[in-house]
Amino acid sequence: MKRPPTSQPTTSSGATAREDGVFNRRHFLVGTATSAVLPLSFGTTGVREAVTDAALPTQVPSSSVALLVNGRTHRLILDNRTTLLDALREHLALTGTKKGCDHGQCGACTVHLDGEPILSCLTLVASVEGRAVTTIEGLAQADGALHPVQQAFIDHDAFQCGYCTPGQIMSAVACVEGDRAGSDAEIREYMSGNLCRCAAYPNIVAAIRAAKTEVRS
Amino acid sequence: MNLHSAATAEPTTIRGGVHNTLAHDSAAKHATGAAIYVDDIPEPAGTLHAAPGLSARARARIKNIDLSNVRAAPGVVLVLTAADIPGTNDVSPIGAGDDPLFATEEVEFHGQVLFAVIAESHEAARRATRLAKIEYEELPALLTVDDALRTQSFVLPEHVMKRGDPVSAITHAPHRMKGQFRLGGQEHFYLEGQASLAVPMEDGDVLVHCSTQHPSEVQHNVAHVLGRPNNAVTVECRRMGGGFGGKETQGSQWAAIAALAAVKLKRPVKCRLDRDDDMIATGKRHDFRIDYEVGYDDQGRILGISFDHAARCGYSADLSGAIADRAMFHADNGYFFEAVQIRSRRCKTNTVSNTAFRGFGGPQGMLGIEEVMDAIARERGLDPLDVRRINLYGDAPRNVTPYHMQVEDNILPELITQIEESSAYRRRRQEITQWNRQNAYLKKGIALTPVKFGISFTTTHLNQAGALVHVYTDGSVHLNHGGTEMGQGLFIKVAQVVAEEFQIDLDQVKITPTNTGKVPNTSATAASSGSDMNGMAAQAAARKIKQRLTEFAAEKYKVTAEDIAFLPNRVRIGNQEVPFRDLVKQAYMGRVSLSATGYYRTPKIHYDRETASGRPFLYFAYGAAVSEVMIDTLTGEHTLLRVDILHDAGKSLNPAIDLGQVEGGFIQGMGWLTSEELWFDEQGRLRTHAPSTYKIPTCSDRPADFRMQLLENNPNREETIHRSKAVGEPPLMLAISAFRAISDAIASIANYRILPRLDAPATPERVLFAIEELQARMEAAE
Amino acid sequence: MLGSRTPSGPEILPPRYARPRLLDEALALRHGGAQIIAGGTDFYPARVGRPLYDRDVPCVLDLTALAELRGIQDEAGCHRIGALTSWTEIAEAPLPAQFYCLQAVAREVGGRQIQNRGTIGGNLCNASPAADGVPALLALGAEIELLSRAGKRVLPLSEFIRGPRQIALRADEIASAVVIPKPKGAAHSSFVKLGARKYLVISIVMAAGYLDVVGSRIAEARIAVGACSPVAQRLPALEAALKGEVAISSLSRLVKPEHLAPLKPIDDVRASAEYREEAALTVVRRLLEELSA
Repeated sequence: MKRPPTSQPTTSSGATAREDGVFNRRHFLVGTATSAVLPLSFGTTGVREAVTDAALPTQVPSSSVALLVNGRTHRLILDNRTTLLDALREHLALTGTKKGCDHGQCGACTVHLDGEPILSCLTLVASVEGRAVTTIEGLAQADGALHPVQQAFIDHDAFQCGYCTPGQIMSAVACVEGDRAGSDAEIREYMSGNLCRCAAYPNIVAAIRAAKTEVRS
Repeated sequence: MNLHSAATAEPTTIRGGVHNTLAHDSAAKHATGAAIYVDDIPEPAGTLHAAPGLSARARARIKNIDLSNVRAAPGVVLVLTAADIPGTNDVSPIGAGDDPLFATEEVEFHGQVLFAVIAESHEAARRATRLAKIEYEELPALLTVDDALRTQSFVLPEHVMKRGDPVSAITHAPHRMKGQFRLGGQEHFYLEGQASLAVPMEDGDVLVHCSTQHPSEVQHNVAHVLGRPNNAVTVECRRMGGGFGGKETQGSQWAAIAALAAVKLKRPVKCRLDRDDDMIATGKRHDFRIDYEVGYDDQGRILGISFDHAARCGYSADLSGAIADRAMFHADNGYFFEAVQIRSRRCKTNTVSNTAFRGFGGPQGMLGIEEVMDAIARERGLDPLDVRRINLYGDAPRNVTPYHMQVEDNILPELITQIEESSAYRRRRQEITQWNRQNAYLKKGIALTPVKFGISFTTTHLNQAGALVHVYTDGSVHLNHGGTEMGQGLFIKVAQVVAEEFQIDLDQVKITPTNTGKVPNTSATAASSGSDMNGMAAQAAARKIKQRLTEFAAEKYKVTAEDIAFLPNRVRIGNQEVPFRDLVKQAYMGRVSLSATGYYRTPKIHYDRETASGRPFLYFAYGAAVSEVMIDTLTGEHTLLRVDILHDAGKSLNPAIDLGQVEGGFIQGMGWLTSEELWFDEQGRLRTHAPSTYKIPTCSDRPADFRMQLLENNPNREETIHRSKAVGEPPLMLAISAFRAISDAIASIANYRILPRLDAPATPERVLFAIEELQARMEAAE
Repeated sequence: MLGSRTPSGPEILPPRYARPRLLDEALALRHGGAQIIAGGTDFYPARVGRPLYDRDVPCVLDLTALAELRGIQDEAGCHRIGALTSWTEIAEAPLPAQFYCLQAVAREVGGRQIQNRGTIGGNLCNASPAADGVPALLALGAEIELLSRAGKRVLPLSEFIRGPRQIALRADEIASAVVIPKPKGAAHSSFVKLGARKYLVISIVMAAGYLDVVGSRIAEARIAVGACSPVAQRLPALEAALKGEVAISSLSRLVKPEHLAPLKPIDDVRASAEYREEAALTVVRRLLEELSA
């Protein structure tokens, strides 16, 4: 969605719909025969059902999860299968965390869980209840001042297409703050879980080196 | 309004003009996660999700296709097949009719799209695709270049370039040899996969947000599929999370699926490929078999040469014709051939249709001749650098390419001298030879290879570009052009050009998404031409407005045009200075148009494909690299110890951006030639379809010692935008030095007198087997 | 507990998700047939493109809240590593030289993000032929502790892992710990891995070795090779040859090609059998060189 953040229960991103009237995909305009004159009115007029009731489960096992993201608690009702990545992107409209491979092998979806970098595509949202999640959107201070690592990435051109950048920065912050940036070799080892196809690696390492000095001083 | 005398406090330069080192325009957005890619666009309410159903056979007749379970699956709204297409069932970039949106009677590769599911969620759509019941009647599949050559299976007719009489030249040369070399393909692995979001508009029109290097082509293909005129479709792209050629033609299919469903259902539809589907169903770099025969003299000077290129194109033509052509155009790299023939065959195989990838065939062509250079050096017992040098293009008559173009801007001899000295190539060569004598298992190798890369689309009509510039009444500028941003920094460079032209600070220029409704009929952002062409077009648009402002000011202030000068953020009119924004406001009040289109067509170029002669390129971009590697002869593992690069970006528009391209291009090329291996099994299934098995370079794979430099004091001899040179593709080919250095390290085992049989990529396995094969040949010779 | 399933629909309903804090509760759920998930780093990738859960799983049991299954204890006669201990925790723990091979593995399992989430127990239960932890743990002579409501079982690792993706875990059991015996003398270990790039590599060949040195001689040697057979294998003939040797001598000279007989490498996307066979010999020799240094 990025539907707006909400404390209301929302539907899952799964193939089902709830009947509680809060948000019902089945109300959307889906017909073709009767709606030729109603463009741009998605989700406003119930005309025809696209999905038969027979195919819809009547009860979806789901969990109510209190998700603490960037210092704010969000209460969501989510399908048990939802990954943290999908919860962030689809339910909290935090699209800074990217879906690169969805296999846990590229690092684009890296977020912090209690300050440690993890892959949000491999993490079921139900397993992080009560723990602090930090995403790229939560790094800057309230007044908008960037984290030194963010500033260093800008200063060192540590990206090209930018798609891997949020994940790189989340790993880099943990690298610097966890005092793992002692040498270029140590930085490279720490950062090896974040792929950059544009290969901005030399600048990424340079940015982390610079940020380390900044964080220390 | 200031008096001229008061202007001393005014800035002498604008912030962010050309030739400045500036951060990428989206730098702050990238660092905060605020940059929007297609999948990040807030979905309109009611958005549906598409997933493709893929063929499970490499080649088969479809006996029956039963999608009833797919249709009945939860969340499924619509299942699309070829029967649902109101227009043409084809998304070929060249209108060849061989790239069906949905396969019908026959599937031609494992992974070909048969149908698409539109569902309430991405997961539901994907899951439903698995429920299709498809009965195949398997047909014999051709998987390799050799299969295709044996059965004479081609997507396009063969093409030949010829100059002189190579057969005779080779026959009469003092020395002759023949050889064969194979090189692998490459997966783009853009971090952002293919993605399109189609939003239905009134009249059955559609707006498609698409991650594409070629919005115009996506627009045209979507219109063809819908059976609507092009004006019914608008395509927009703000940025891509990487393209590398993989989004030059490969976006159309997914855009068309999303658009078809959106128009049918009157709901927005998103088609974002999962990584596996993306790797299986979209094209890659062409792998090649190159056969050569060469005749040369005692010093290694080539007297006659003949190449036979065979490219694996996959099941359809796509851009294979132009790609295989570009391989031919670069079969010479920087070397003069007195007599030459290059034959190219475009093999049709039952594998995914290969497509553009950074270099577009050029790297493949160059690898061929660089193999020959080493082969000659080994046979003659010469340093490969000396063989390369003696064969470089020079003065007439040694300045004519195999396609009869005169090389007028050759700087390779000087450039090579400079890097040979700065990298201490000769001294290190000696030290390495010595070191290798003292080390039994570890061996080092070094190689210096040049790059000469032709700039312009070789399909001449594509060399045109458009731009649209508005100046608003507050003096702020809106910039749009046909080029797309994929991380290469095109948008910032073109914005610098416009800022420079108006002499306003860069932050006054708004960069806007590429949109077919603003600038039509554009070419792909490809062939490294983005800045060259769009920069010129934007400059032309800005100049039109500037001209109008000048005329207006001359009339209003009663001065001549010569008395008007655009200074940083202000305009000098006679003896007064007026802030830019004030003059703009005055011009608006004076009813002057403040919007203009700009257009550019590359001059001088022409090419006659029938005779394979002409001037397909406006100019060449040059570079050279020296790589030093170490190999472990017991396992074949290798490490890149040091790389020196000297690259020609002309008078760089933005050195920071250009250095990034050089660095990234080298590492991407290094990945292609050393670790990235595409592995198809006997059933034609791609088995390396995930990052766990397909290995692109990581942060630790960059060379330990990496020294890069742009060639200084080197403006483009042609009148390009601010005398810069294209820089997107050429640096990729600098990585050939790494491959040749590995070969050099292996050759040390045979005292540098035998060329190792090493194909690309030089995986540890290939290196080890090349070593063993070399040792076997040495033993046989004894 | 579980939503009613539409008889005709192919939909597989997402099951209940449980993350208990108490071991008893976990064992009860497991007794009821729950499917286990720990760090999830293998669980989810294995299911890409497939439904996340198997059809008949009534419950997914997330073990990550069971604090008692986490951490490393120095006990009499052994070290006990909780099954939920992450690779990062293993890499950073102050452990004796005996554990060098395991710590080296811990630093190379995936990227940092995987090391933070991936667990030693999960790695063993996943039983991938290329699982990095298995050769190291075979070299350390590890045993695995299995809990159920019926009680505790302890199996040698070589008996626990029966084949690729096949383990001797009963449907009601949870792997709770890896138990590593203490050496008689001064032990050290090493790990050598071969891959096509430095990190993020699923190995082509890897080998781990352990030497227990009493006085100046090798009292016990264990050498294991991974990714060259369906399951990582120890090399008993080589181990026998090493026993009684002077530990600081050049041990690699003792390695003979026939010692690698237990290996049965295959062709796959990463390398051919032929290459693996050759490389394995080199890797084992190199391992022995490291162990003798």
